Amino acid sequence: MAEHTVASFDDDLREIGQIIDGMGELAGTMVGGATKALLSADVALAQRVVSDDIVMDERQRELDSRAITLIARRQPMADDLRSVLGAIRMAGDLERIGDLAKNIAKRVGAVGENAVPRDLSHSIEGMAHLVLEQVDDVIRDYAAGDAAALTRLRASDESIDARYTAVFRELLTYMMEDPRNITACTHLLFCAKNLERIGDHVTNIAENAYYILTGEQLPPNRPKRDETAAA
Amino acid sequence: MKPMLSTELDVAAEPAAETAKIEVRHLNFHYGQSKALKDISLSLPARSVTAFIGPSGCGKSTLLRCFNRIYELYPRQSADGEILLDGRNILDRSQDLNLLRTRIGMVFQKPTPFPMSIYENIAFGVRLYEKLPKSEMDGRVEHALKRAALWTEVKDKLDASGLSLSGGQQQRLCIARTVAVKPEVILLDEPASALDPLSTAKIEELIDELKDDYTIVIVTHNMQQAARVSSKTAFMYLGELIEFDKTEKIFTSPREKRTQDYITGRFG
Repeated sequence: MAEHTVASFDDDLREIGQIIDGMGELAGTMVGGATKALLSADVALAQRVVSDDIVMDERQRELDSRAITLIARRQPMADDLRSVLGAIRMAGDLERIGDLAKNIAKRVGAVGENAVPRDLSHSIEGMAHLVLEQVDDVIRDYAAGDAAALTRLRASDESIDARYTAVFRELLTYMMEDPRNITACTHLLFCAKNLERIGDHVTNIAENAYYILTGEQLPPNRPKRDETAAA
Repeated sequence: MKPMLSTELDVAAEPAAETAKIEVRHLNFHYGQSKALKDISLSLPARSVTAFIGPSGCGKSTLLRCFNRIYELYPRQSADGEILLDGRNILDRSQDLNLLRTRIGMVFQKPTPFPMSIYENIAFGVRLYEKLPKSEMDGRVEHALKRAALWTEVKDKLDASGLSLSGGQQQRLCIARTVAVKPEVILLDEPASALDPLSTAKIEELIDELKDDYTIVIVTHNMQQAARVSSKTAFMYLGELIEFDKTEKIFTSPREKRTQDYITGRFG
């Protein structure tokens, strides 16, 4: 794309883009770290995830400040306007992903060392892997300008919802089998829900990124497979 | 169970098709041998504001000046094609230019008050076309100055020279002068580019008030102004109409790359 006549405008946009890239990378690190900490009862790793959330929050504040300054100074139009507004929204979603990862990490101690049965561990790990893949993919697809990939990614949130429903039922089963599992499984339930919410935020990011790239909104209805309300 | 939120959105009925006040069909314009407008076609909706934007030399002022045929004051300038005002081609040789210019008024970039009193600046144009008793003329002058948001500032000094006003006031005086002869269309050629920000804001507020009663066409270099005041925007480049659409579409997601590059400051 051609550069702006005023080169510093490009610099301002580039800096905002770099903050989003950094936040995306940090979100992936936090989600991966929180999940690993949960499944391996790694309290030290969990603590690092909690600390990372402070950095994530700072980055969102920095992005907001830069974006608002850019709007005031440059009065951006068209794709520039969409990219700045989209960056503000995406930063909000990435910051929430950080919060949700932190919340998972904070439950590591409560779940305990021996409380996660192998099958359940695989289910949660599978779900987390899917979520992590999407967190990594969404920023990459946006940076690559791949609107089609963003549409597919948005649709694939359905599979995360389906995994969450399955994990939910599995946890209910464990709790019904043995009441001594209730405490740990309840915490795991929250963790699984947090992963499902991370998937929703990734969908928001994909929708925003699609709008930035194309100027068009994706249709409001997307497939949802969270059936826990009927479980 | 009835959902808490209605699933039937309050979708406004499809807006009625806009009525075109001015319709341009395959318009070409020449300065001597040089072609300044190339096959321009567009419809300007009635009682709304349309903005023409584009880099210097793109033809936006040239197009504006075709609507009241003011180019005919100058030698070797010619237009061919059609410009329909309420369905009638104003480029036709049979068109009475004086009558045309009562229907289509114009305000220029540099305020051009007559070297007369404020009152006479308004009354002069009216007298060319109407014979009014003094009381009616007083009313017409007052009405025009009120419509131009200038009355309260000048009502106690109508005998003062129009040249004694500030730049912003002079421009509003010119707008009042235009409005006094009851036009249907008002052409604004960069009306605020010579004014300070406060005067500019007053002109924009005035445009917002006038648009309910007049069809307004504004040429401006200030894209933010075009975005603020207009409902439709035409982007021109090198004598061609590149894109013409709703203003919000032009400034948020234009269809043409050249439009996007211009409004984002990548050229021009």
